[in-house]
Amino acid sequence: MDITFKNVTYTYQPNTPFEHTALENMSFHVKSGSFVAIIGHTGSGKSTLLSHLNGLQVPTEGEVTIGDYRLSREHKPSDLKELRSKVGVVFQYPEHQLFEETVEKDIAFGPENFGVPESDIKKRIEKASRAVGLSPELLKRSPFELSGGQMRRVAIAGVLAVSPEVLVLDEPTAGLDPRGQKEMMDMFYQLHREEGLTTVLVTHSMEDALKYADYVIILNKGAKYMEGRPEEVFTQKEALQKVQLDVPEIVQFLTAFNQKFHTSIPFQKQSEKELARSIQQVLKGDEEK
Amino acid sequence: MENKPLIQFKNVSFRYNDKAPWVLDNVSFTIEEDEWVAIIGHNGSGKSTIAKLINGLLFPQKGEILISGKKVDEESVWEIRKEVGMVFQNPDNQFVGATVQDDVAFGMENRGIPREEMIKRIDETLKAVGMSDYRLTEPHRLSGGQKQRVAIASVLAISPKVLILDEATAMLDPNGRKEIMQTVSSILDERNFALITITHDLEEIVQADRVIVMNNGQVWDEAKPRDIFTKKEALREIGLDVPFVAILADELKQYGIPLPKEPLNHGELLEDLWTLHLRT
Repeated sequence: MDITFKNVTYTYQPNTPFEHTALENMSFHVKSGSFVAIIGHTGSGKSTLLSHLNGLQVPTEGEVTIGDYRLSREHKPSDLKELRSKVGVVFQYPEHQLFEETVEKDIAFGPENFGVPESDIKKRIEKASRAVGLSPELLKRSPFELSGGQMRRVAIAGVLAVSPEVLVLDEPTAGLDPRGQKEMMDMFYQLHREEGLTTVLVTHSMEDALKYADYVIILNKGAKYMEGRPEEVFTQKEALQKVQLDVPEIVQFLTAFNQKFHTSIPFQKQSEKELARSIQQVLKGDEEK
Repeated sequence: MENKPLIQFKNVSFRYNDKAPWVLDNVSFTIEEDEWVAIIGHNGSGKSTIAKLINGLLFPQKGEILISGKKVDEESVWEIRKEVGMVFQNPDNQFVGATVQDDVAFGMENRGIPREEMIKRIDETLKAVGMSDYRLTEPHRLSGGQKQRVAIASVLAISPKVLILDEATAMLDPNGRKEIMQTVSSILDERNFALITITHDLEEIVQADRVIVMNNGQVWDEAKPRDIFTKKEALREIGLDVPFVAILADELKQYGIPLPKEPLNHGELLEDLWTLHLRT
């Protein structure tokens, strides 16, 4: 589903002493089927932006369009249920939301609420738990007996079981160990490709944004600060540092190398191997002189 | 440098109950005074259990743990805790005071430190972590990184011999992480204590004097960071990360570039490449 923000402003507690504008005149477009990373440090408006994606919040000014849904102050659909069945949100530390007696029941909670017929639910549970890598023998267990990583997978399976078209991920790997982080991101990426999802990832990790996203939006103080393809955005070191963000390590190294060796190897999302080859050519060039 | 052992683990095994698997299995190591040791390992490898055993939150079923030569047991535990300061992962779970200065005072009050001395130490420790301007601030108004800095000040105020940071930066954003590690290294320059960082963060590992790698409850390796990162494939196999600069160095070697050492940061690798460049 296409997602469009048009001049969206969101103000908390307007006309009170606590008035606080979290989003200001924000416009952007996310193409259906793309993988977008939203980056910004604490307080930049990421969470407020996310809660507009499934109608938890409605713009104070401007308009949000998600597929056929229009959300604005004047135009608030009376039934948000259908929208919410199409936009699955994985909040931070989603395992804190588990509550059922068994893993199976917890995964079934979402689809049951959205009126998926009983006969389909079993299939949905199987598919979702397979997608997140939960083995079938865990389904009858209490989710509270599982490890932290497994609990998170159960919570994510609950979101997937609703079969969303848009998947919103709010720092989904926080607190996992390096292998857990990689497995989780690879899993989301595979789902994104196989199911043709539109994926919105909120992250602090420039490395993840570089690796998985095809479009990057940088927020600062409630406004859009930069946007573009990762290789365009992540090479603008000075602009990013102004808002206390770093460029990915490979870009840092490449920039330093180019300065020291007076070369101009461009950043093209190359792997370490490809970068090593370019460096070798610079050094080999020396030998031929 | 003349170093004395501060923490000794001698054939320590631990499990949560008789039927549970061993979380630590025959673990032995020594940490010396003034040493910075990083303990790494995948989730469930036993890292945090080590921290809890050091200050007597848990006791081992087999083997013994000595702090400054004293055995950690139910009798010595109150003495031991004066020497061991810990900061945990979640900044919101470790505040008791209504203001920042009350919070720093709390640990000292429990140890019966005289008022004059408490005031002096509050000043000193808040200054050390760069939080002097926030003495009267309510803790919930602080950012995650600021909270962890106050938590560190509270621990430093009781002058421990060892400070343990148990994934203390894991819930912070990259800036918060940087803040904490800069604070910690500047304090280390001025004060004498051992530092144990339990972490996944590669930058924290690189800064340590020594790294203990845990895997399935056992010490898998114990070496300087530089030596640890030469074992890239093996580290990946046990679920750990390898820094970008180590990966790049490996690829460069594959292309026949004779790097003289395992680089720990961008600067070192650039210098080595520059030297090779000048030689040709």
